[in-house]
Formats: sequence, C-alpha cells, structure tokens
Amino acid sequence: MEDYATSDDDFHYSSDQEDSVDAYENDDQDYALLSSKGPTTQVITKESLLAAQREDLRRVMDMLSVKEQHARTLLIFHRWDVEKLFAVYVDKGISFLFAEAGVSVDEHRESDSVASAVMCLICMEDVPSNELTRMDCGHGFCNSCWIEHFIVKINEGQSKRIRCMAHKCNSICDEAVVRTLLSRQHPDMAEKYERFLLESYIEDNKRVKWCPSTPHCGNAIRVDEDELCEVECSCGVQFCFKCLSEAHSPCSCLMWELWAKKCRDESETVNWITVHTKPCPKCHKPVEKNGGCNLVSCICGQAFCWLCGGATGREHTWSSIAGHSCGRYKEQEKTAERAKRDLYRYMHYHNRYKAHTDSFKIESKLKETIQGKVAISEEKDSTLRDYSWVNNGLSRLFRSRRVLSYSYAFAFYMFGDELFKDEMTEAQREIKQNLFEDQQQQLEANVEKLSKILEEPFETFSDDKVMEIRMQIINLSTVIDKLCQKMYECIENDLLGSLHHGIHSIAPYKSKGIERASELSVCWGNNVNDTEMLLSEKDYCIYAASVGVTAELDRPSGSGSSDDSGCSSRKRARKEGLGGGFFDLNLPAEFVDRN
Amino acid sequence: MLDFARVQKELVECSKDAEGSGIKVSPKSDNLVLLIGTIPGPVGTPYEGGIFQIDITLPDGYPFEPPKMQFKTKVCLFSSDHCLSELVAVMVWIFVWHPNISSQSGAICLDILKDQWSPALTLKTALLSVQALLSAPQPDDPQDAVVAQQYLKDYQTFVNTARYWTESFAKESTRGIEDKVQKLVEMGFPEAQVRSVLEAVGGDENLALERLL
Repeated sequence: MEDYATSDDDFHYSSDQEDSVDAYENDDQDYALLSSKGPTTQVITKESLLAAQREDLRRVMDMLSVKEQHARTLLIFHRWDVEKLFAVYVDKGISFLFAEAGVSVDEHRESDSVASAVMCLICMEDVPSNELTRMDCGHGFCNSCWIEHFIVKINEGQSKRIRCMAHKCNSICDEAVVRTLLSRQHPDMAEKYERFLLESYIEDNKRVKWCPSTPHCGNAIRVDEDELCEVECSCGVQFCFKCLSEAHSPCSCLMWELWAKKCRDESETVNWITVHTKPCPKCHKPVEKNGGCNLVSCICGQAFCWLCGGATGREHTWSSIAGHSCGRYKEQEKTAERAKRDLYRYMHYHNRYKAHTDSFKIESKLKETIQGKVAISEEKDSTLRDYSWVNNGLSRLFRSRRVLSYSYAFAFYMFGDELFKDEMTEAQREIKQNLFEDQQQQLEANVEKLSKILEEPFETFSDDKVMEIRMQIINLSTVIDKLCQKMYECIENDLLGSLHHGIHSIAPYKSKGIERASELSVCWGNNVNDTEMLLSEKDYCIYAASVGVTAELDRPSGSGSSDDSGCSSRKRARKEGLGGGFFDLNLPAEFVDRN
Repeated sequence: MLDFARVQKELVECSKDAEGSGIKVSPKSDNLVLLIGTIPGPVGTPYEGGIFQIDITLPDGYPFEPPKMQFKTKVCLFSSDHCLSELVAVMVWIFVWHPNISSQSGAICLDILKDQWSPALTLKTALLSVQALLSAPQPDDPQDAVVAQQYLKDYQTFVNTARYWTESFAKESTRGIEDKVQKLVEMGFPEAQVRSVLEAVGGDENLALERLL
C-alpha cells in the first residue's frame, strides 16, 4: 500500500488544496476513460421500445431498401443482429437473405377480378374474389381461413413467424395484412400480435435483456458492446447482464451461482451435524459428544458406542465397552476429517464474505452521522466550503467493500477443489493463492483504514486537521481504486486467464461503480433527475434487502445528478456541495438526497 | 372449431379415387372427430402386402392445426373359453416395425404432422406422406431408437423383422369377411347381428366387437 501512497505524493501533498483535488479528479477521469467509453448500456422502457426497434428497422430498410415488415422479418430471423444480417447480405446476396428468412418481395398480386368466385383450397368453399387475400408469395386463400390461421398461430406464440398457409411455402405473412384482417373481428388478437412483434425485439435479441427486477419494472436493458458487464436499470436493480443475477464481480457467473446456492443451502449445517453428532439408536436425536470416552449416553438414557453408533450397555473402561466391539474406527474418522476440513474452509471464506457484507450494512448507517457532521461543518465559520470528498470517500468505501466481499467467494472456488482441481498443481495453486491473497490483504487493510478515518469526528476539528483528514481520505480512495483495479486485472490475467478450460470470465472493473444504463434518447425529455433519484433509493432498498435489513426510505425530494452527463454535472455537483456527487452509484438515496 | 364441411368434402374426395391410391378414410364415430385411415404397404418394401390402419383424431382447430395420427394398435383379449367376462390378459400390439414409428404406441414421427403442417394439406395428403415414410425411413431422426439402431447396424434383420410383423399382423385385417364373421359368431354373437355390425363399421373386426359388446 505504501508504494501507491508515495507515488501519488507529489500530486496530493504538493501545492495548494484545490490543485490536489483536481489532480484526484483527473485521475478518476482517466479511469473512467479506461474502463468505459461513455455509457454503453441503455434502458428500454415500454415507451422507448418502439423507438429502439425502429432504430434497427430503419437501418435495414435504408440499407436494403425494403418495407418495414420485410425488415422486421429479416431482423427477427437474425435475432436483431444487424451486423450479422449485413454480413449475410454481403456474403451470400440478397436473394439468399430473403429466401432464408421467408421474405417474398416479388409482387404476385395479379388481378382476381376476372373470376367472380374462387375456390379457397383450405375450406374448399367458393368465395367471392373480394373475400380472398393474396400474400406477397402469391398464395391466396379466403379471409376467414386466413383469420383462423392467424389466431391459431398467435395462440401458439408464433406471431413472429406466421408462415403462409400453402404447403412448403416458407414465406412470412405480410404484417399489414395480418393487422387489417384481424382488427376487424378480433381486435384482442390484433393487439396480442402487435405486442409480440414489439417484444420480439427483446426476446429474440442477444444484446437486449429484460431487467430481472421483481415485481418487474417493465424495462429492458440494451448493451452496445460487451455482453459481459454489470449494469443498473433505471428501476435501481443492479445486475450482471450475463447471468441476470445480482452484480457479483470479481466472481465469475458460475462461481456466483455455486456460491449463492451454497450459502442458501442448509447443506453446511447438515454437514456440521454429520461431522459432530451421531443419532441416538433409540430416540434418533442427534447427539454431540462433549468429551470423555467412546461410550456416550443420550439424554433419553440410551448408551451407545460413539464409534459405530450401536446401542451398548453401560459397563466400560476407557478403551472398551463391555460386550461390544467394532472395527470401523479408521474409515469413519477419515471421511469425518475430510468433511470437517471442507466445512472449515467454507466457513473461513463465508465468514469473511459475510463480514464485509455486514460492515457494509453498518457503514450504510454512517450516512446519517456523516451528513450531520457535514451539516455542522458547513455551518461553521470556516474557509472550507466543499465537502464532496466525504461522500466520495464513502462511496469508494461502499464499492470496495462490495468488491472485497465477492472476492472471498471468488477465492473459495478459485483455490478450491470443486472447479479447478485438475487445472493447477499444488505448487501452482499455492503461488497463485499467495499472489491473490497479498492483493486482497492490501485492499482489505486500506479499506479498513478508510473506514476508520471516515468515522473521525471531523466536524469538531480545526481547519488544518480537517484538511489533513480530507487528504488522507482522498489518498486512500485513490489507492483503493487502484488496488481494486489491480485485483481485477490479476484475476483476469493471472488467475482465470491461465486456465485451460477457461469458461470463467468476469465483468470488467468500473472505477465509478456499476454503470447505470442511460435512458434511450427518445426519453430524454422525461425528468431524468427524478428517475435517477428513484434509482439510488431503490438501490439502497435492494442492498438492504440482500443483507437482511428493512430499508426505510424517505421519498426522494432533492435533485440528483446523472452520472453520465459528464463534466458539467460534475462541476455542478461540486458547487452544490453535497448535492449528489458523481460518485453516487452505490450510495443510499439519502446521500444524493441532500440538496 | 372443427370445420365439418371441409372434413365431409375431404371424405368424399378421398373415396372418389380410393381405388387408385388404395388410401381410405372412414369415420369411426358420427361426430367426425375420430377417423380411421387405411394405407397399403408400399410395393418393394418389407411392408408390401400389408394394410395399415391409422387412428386419426381431428383437433378443434383442424385444418389449421394438424390432425393427430398414429398407427392403430391391436388390443388382444385373451380369454378363457371365449367367455369375455373372464379376461385373463390384455396385450397391446402394433403392426408396424419402422424407425420413425414407435413400436410401443404407434406414434408417428413426421414433420408435416407437427410444425410443418399446412392447412392446405389434407387427410389424404397426410396419409400419402405416411405411406412415403414407410418407403423411406429416416433413421437419423428416430421415434423408436431400438428399431433405428437395428436399421443402421443390421439392415437385414430389420427387413426380416419388418416383414414378419407385416405378415403376422397387418395382413390379418385383409382376411375375408367370412373369417371375421365366423370368429365373432364363435364368440357367441348371433350371426345376423355380426354381419350387420361388421358391415356398418366397414369390416373392422375390433370395432365390430366393441359395438357388439
């Protein structure tokens, strides 16, 4: 840790205070540039779904000069992957592209007015030609048969690909025709059809996923680049885009799944019981041996042999029980030893995982205290006006606690037998484990330090003392940020990167916390600030729920500032003092709340 | 709901050239929901000479939903002294040994009966496809893994088994009407009644027995 602190010395301990803050912020900006180039995720709400879909449709329509319905058919076939669609177009040509997806653009609509009545090949009735509809592929059937067909297909969930009724005709039915025919007699089905078409943009799109919130907020998230990322929906839920569970880096998705299951399961308790107790042969209650020889007597009065669990008499010496002999001592001891070792190992990691989650919980209570302190400080007749560094430090603390707690779950699997037993030799594992644990410990030490300093009663200090604390917090924040970054890099490159059967990858480290998905541009007009507010409030709720406390929140009233609105908002945030810094990602609402 | 008018027309259409194709469809019940289709085993296959019966159930959505078809199974009632009240055992047999047809249930694995169904297809075209399936098994997409394995690994045994099944079971239904009458009369039913019932059900022995009971 010392290394980092000293290397930054010239930034932070030189010149006047204002400069050092700027240096710190610039530093942060660099990281932001490193980790993400602007927002790469977007929230798609019910209202913006249409716009989002239009965007892609427009590209295809412009490129291939086709009608909207054909563009949609093509895109649905290619799972809304515009790039892939264009690649097929370039490689195999337009006719292949169309045929593959079932698009017929040739106009087959010859006039049917010649014959007054035509036989529909489905119902085998003669129908007047004006009640017969031809699709783009040229096949015509009577309207009532078409309607019947559409209803069956829509109910089957096939809205996105309703094929022509003719045998072996791969054409997809013209959207407009489906719409007009259905809307006359079955408006409910028409509505269902529209909804399915619209939602296909989410369901069939690998870059878009529904937000996993329960109850569902109705939003979906679209990522522009890497699917492996963590994102925050405008409803406040933070999740891993890949596996849709809570954000869990630096754990891989598989590790997290296993860990969450392990923590949920009672298996460890059961394990403890099997290791430490034996059922009484009479009353079957689990009996724990609290010392003494191998003759155990249950609370029910039954005596039994601790080694084999069999009922015995009470006559015994230290080494043998009268009339009883059993020879299974060695074998049982071995399995018990092993289970015991596994249990202790799990407990080691789980305790630390839990400890960080718990201190996060306690530290969340710091907010009120700190706000009080800041308020007092601001009242003071002092030259210091800007206390945003307190909040920044606090959010850094929250974020790194989070990283730390998940890092224990990661270590449990990385260095355990469960996943990578054959990937590393004992020696390799030891080296890697040492490497990782060194970093983890450094991080942990700094996090605790930061935690301690943040609890100082700085409101009672003199200006000089406050400046000193401010400097320490800023320094520690930078160091912690770098350590987190390094730990992610180490995990990615040295630990997971060297695996042969590497299916494990982790979401990249975001210095500024989990990226909040921006509203799709169409919704910019809508009170962004309010959304943002609501969001951090819920975030707190979710966190609180996950650590098992009931969150009681005031309704948000102040204005937050959006994280992705860039420098201007940042400056504004600073001028407003505590009015929602740019570091508010993991903050409970109350922090941002204060105006 | 089921389009009765169309089913009626299909039946008429089908009976018109029953001679040519050998494919027949007849209603099993009055409501046109349950039908029986008959296809001759294709020439030059182990199924040649057999007459295969297929149970057809029309769903409500027919013709927009595919008809359900499966090879008819034969329920053999083993009774003592031809006394039907003392049933000893019930066995289910199916007449066809084919990779795409379950030897247990008679279920048919055919794309046009599933997702490739089109309302423009008819019972007759569907039965023709089933007949085509008999000529051209697709062991790579099997319904009956045991038969498919045999088809791929030991073709000769497959052919022999399929032929044996055809001989033993499917030809039975081609037996003369007199045989059937005699068999039913032996069971203790009056001959006149047997004849009229047999005629009513189109010579189907099992169906006749059901009615007589």
